[in-house]
Amino acid sequence: MSRFVLRRLLQSAVVLLGVTLVVFLLLQLVPGDPVRVALGTRFDPQTYEALRTRAGLDRPLVAQYFSYVGRAVTGDLGVSFRSGQPVTRIVLERLPATLSLALTAVLIAVLVAFPLGVLAAVRSGSALDHAARVFSQFGVSVPDFWMGIMGILLFAGVLGWLPPSGYVPLTEDPAGWLAHVLLPAATVGLVTASILTRFIRSSVLEVLSADYVRTAEAKGLRTRVVVLRHVLRNALIPVITVVAVQLASLLGGVIVVEVLFAWPGIGRLTYDAVQARDYPVLQGAVLLVAALFLLMNLLVDILYARLDPRITAR
Amino acid sequence: MSAARDSQARRALSALRHDPPAVAGAVVLLALVVVGTAGRWLAPAGVNDVDVDQMLHPPSWAHPFGTDELGRDVLSRVLVAARVSLEVGVVSVGIALLVGAGIGLVAGYYRGWVDNVLMRGMDVLFAFPVLLLAVAIVAVLGPGLLTAMIAIGVVYTPIFARVTRAGVLSVREQVFVRAAVSIGASDLRIIRRHVLPNIAAPLIVQTSLSLAFAILSEAALSFLGLGIQPPAPAWGRMLFDGRGFVTEAWWLGFFPGAAIFLTVLAFNLVGDALRDVLDPRQLTLGEASRSTT
Amino acid sequence: MSRIGSRLIGGALALALVTVGGCSSGESVDVDGAATQGGAGGVLTAAIGGEPDQLDPHRTSAYYSFEVLENVYDTLVEPDENLRMQPSLATKWTTSADQLTWTFTLRGGVRFSDGSPLTAEDVKYSYDRIVGEKLNAAYRFAAVKSVAAPDPTTVVVTLSAPTPNLLANLGGFKGVAIVEKSNVESGAIKTKPVGSGPFAVASYTSGDSVKLVRNDNYWNTKPKLDGVTFTFVKDPTVALQNLRGGEAQWTDNLPPQQVPALTDGGELTVQRKPSADYWYLALNQARKPYGDVNVRRAVAFALDPAAITKAAKFGLATVNQTAIPKGSSWYYEYAPYRHDPEQAKALLGQAGVSGLTMDLMVTSEYPETVSAAQVIAAQLKEVGITVKIRTLDFAQWLDEQGRGTFDAFMLGWLGNIDPDEFYYAQHHSGGAFNFQKYRNPAVDRLLDAARTQTDQGARKQAYDQAAKQIVDDASYIYLYNPDVVQGWSKKVTGYQARTDRAIRFRDVALTK
Repeated sequence: MSRFVLRRLLQSAVVLLGVTLVVFLLLQLVPGDPVRVALGTRFDPQTYEALRTRAGLDRPLVAQYFSYVGRAVTGDLGVSFRSGQPVTRIVLERLPATLSLALTAVLIAVLVAFPLGVLAAVRSGSALDHAARVFSQFGVSVPDFWMGIMGILLFAGVLGWLPPSGYVPLTEDPAGWLAHVLLPAATVGLVTASILTRFIRSSVLEVLSADYVRTAEAKGLRTRVVVLRHVLRNALIPVITVVAVQLASLLGGVIVVEVLFAWPGIGRLTYDAVQARDYPVLQGAVLLVAALFLLMNLLVDILYARLDPRITAR
Repeated sequence: MSAARDSQARRALSALRHDPPAVAGAVVLLALVVVGTAGRWLAPAGVNDVDVDQMLHPPSWAHPFGTDELGRDVLSRVLVAARVSLEVGVVSVGIALLVGAGIGLVAGYYRGWVDNVLMRGMDVLFAFPVLLLAVAIVAVLGPGLLTAMIAIGVVYTPIFARVTRAGVLSVREQVFVRAAVSIGASDLRIIRRHVLPNIAAPLIVQTSLSLAFAILSEAALSFLGLGIQPPAPAWGRMLFDGRGFVTEAWWLGFFPGAAIFLTVLAFNLVGDALRDVLDPRQLTLGEASRSTT
Repeated sequence: MSRIGSRLIGGALALALVTVGGCSSGESVDVDGAATQGGAGGVLTAAIGGEPDQLDPHRTSAYYSFEVLENVYDTLVEPDENLRMQPSLATKWTTSADQLTWTFTLRGGVRFSDGSPLTAEDVKYSYDRIVGEKLNAAYRFAAVKSVAAPDPTTVVVTLSAPTPNLLANLGGFKGVAIVEKSNVESGAIKTKPVGSGPFAVASYTSGDSVKLVRNDNYWNTKPKLDGVTFTFVKDPTVALQNLRGGEAQWTDNLPPQQVPALTDGGELTVQRKPSADYWYLALNQARKPYGDVNVRRAVAFALDPAAITKAAKFGLATVNQTAIPKGSSWYYEYAPYRHDPEQAKALLGQAGVSGLTMDLMVTSEYPETVSAAQVIAAQLKEVGITVKIRTLDFAQWLDEQGRGTFDAFMLGWLGNIDPDEFYYAQHHSGGAFNFQKYRNPAVDRLLDAARTQTDQGARKQAYDQAAKQIVDDASYIYLYNPDVVQGWSKKVTGYQARTDRAIRFRDVALTK
């Protein structure tokens, strides 16, 4: 293992520790007694005491934190205030839905952004380039929930092609899953595609203006060949990392879209936990998401370092 | 120094004038500011003039944007809500700018363990998806206008810290700063005279772009019912409330959504143009924070 | 009072269903020998408006849980469509001369869905659990001294006082279901409850659905459906689209503004029935100036319930100035208030109140309270009262309700039938849910007396008097009784909407 990888590992571990602190403090910062508030009138003294003890709220703050981290390491994130189920299980149950949505969205985004970005760069200044710019500006400015509502109105309402919301596990019914995932994935994918299109365009443009490309052009190679041989290979490395970072942020669960489309992923879980004031579940979901995000970024950096040895030198 | 700044500003302005999208963005922003300050007087009806006999009327001369599920004038609500959006945007980005730039300045200027501690702290905040962190903060503090401002402000703080720190690091090694240090100028003086003016450009760009995202984030929070609470009008909240009616009352979903879109678009257009002019090195972390999901 | 310990019923959302009462009903369901044509098999998907918090029938208080559990569990007796109690697990029962001992004979050969037998011991275990652990329905056992199981098919319930409503208490809803001991002790009951009802829980995917399969051990006519899947669809527009698109075949979450058109159109079956639910505005009488009856009456005169109802329910409700709906035999016709801002101002003047600011607490859990609050605010503004609406999530709302940190709140009570359930806990000075701190000794006396009154005529008279006084004192300002509105696909046969909102799929079939 190189020193770079080691350093990044250490750094991620420190940040993760910080994340646990933030997540831990979430519960502490709740005004009043969080267990009392979460129970509402379902309050009875036994349940109350049991949940308080289970959440460790009857012990000193520092001890609480260390035991929280200690238990989190072993995969114990406490129990839900609402259902009494282990938080780890509740959160992991939601992972497949979020994973399948995030991957589909990124796939859609790449399929749209890659040709659009490359063509826009190659024909810089053309009508297509302008169209690509308008598209990406549109995508980063439009509220995703608004797009989602309009999508539901059009494809589920007027045209009746797709179901308006809901979820079918991929493993149970692939066709049903596909029908359900298309609208939410396209909604999420549009935003991602806009970001990617911009990035791919500028990345390809940068390589196009590099000396060796100009040399190749001067040697009389036709534009298309130049693009394929030299440019794409060199422009691809940063693009891959951006795709990976986008994926990482989508894995965090796309709250708004999951809520809008009743997609039972991490984002919906977070939202429901907030509504029910189910703090252990909220903490667990947030912790998992942040850990995933850090892990993905770590992997991206290591991958990037392998592809581009200059990084380690820094 | 000030002459340099003037010329920079002039250059920026003239470049913007020749960038049609940026001009369009600026015009929309200007209109927004007018509506934001005078919306209450521009609105043809009161935002909470409930009239159940007028509910869900389509756009007409009397109600150009139609009426909502309580018979209120949608145009009036859209106009007045502009203020809330701008307020949340400006205050939350203001928080992020002050706190973030402060942290970045200290971290970049003093380096060493201070830098390490502060920036790892920012890394921690950066490890959460934007909206997730905002929602978690709202969960703790309870939904409302102030909470939304704080939550969004916290969420965008690390971006400003990073941008500022990067700027400070690059300025710090330049000859004029080293010279100032060597003649024994105080830290405060160096920061004020030399560092700040040189990192102003990326901060201005970042502020403009962040305003777009902050407004989008506020709309998303309100759309989840976690932002501004009724009866105060907010665009995201109007979509949230109108969601059950959009199939038969498209105007409930369309106009508030279009208002959010136009506002965000305007900030993005101006921000992008500013970046092209002011920050060609692309210090700004625009893309990284684009996703509001 | 035993009720004080009982926390049933999310704060005000009682699922305290049913006693013998005469709510209006639809056509009767053809239960026996209803082997209608063709419909064997199939899985019905029911889109419900939210997610159960858990599936332990004794611990949950969420209506969404009971929509599912209605099809999973049995009770000793159960209400028919006219809300009269009929045999279920118990085939017959006798009452001792002193009315203090009830002996139930259980149906033989009943099994839980996992195959183990359901005996008198299970009944005793279930009831002892509810009482011993002070669970939600414990107040229903207030007069129960002991439960005994002398043999596997006999249950003896001993009472401390005559309780004419015992059957309703033991069978009104699935919160008093007979559960399996091993299922409780393993903790599985929270997500995979085992009952003796027509269907059994196959899987529960949080955030998405609960899947039920036919219980082949069911003691009654086997259900025709292979299973029922309850999906959680919060958005009524989506629920309707699911119904139209064939994603779901049943929902109780239709967009209210579309119901009139849907009821007329032929594509779906939509039924509207008056319910026993009521929604109300309560003013905190422990706070100034709401302790003054004139102020409360002023608010009642300032309101226009018709407009509030329109905003909150799109007309799918009946305006009512008392609690008990028209269809009930306990209905008492009384409507002293009318929308009269001048009268309201005069009353405020008498009370010496001006420039009043009212903190009105509503919850996003029930969006109709948020809508209604905005209309209420507009109406009170006309008489010079400034309303500050606070929209809270339900947990916080309940917390503040309990602590009394509000000027006013709006909420509803679901499924009450017996007048005791309508009035005692809410308006008796010692009532468990008297969050508005109403105190009128005359009303206390009436409610106490009516509770034990066995003569129905005298009982009705006592409740009429109490109702009149409660309305005059504006302890609650009653707003409306909402309708039960459910819609289903034309493929669904054998389903009827019920006034108690119990969702029963055991006799339902799906045609191709």
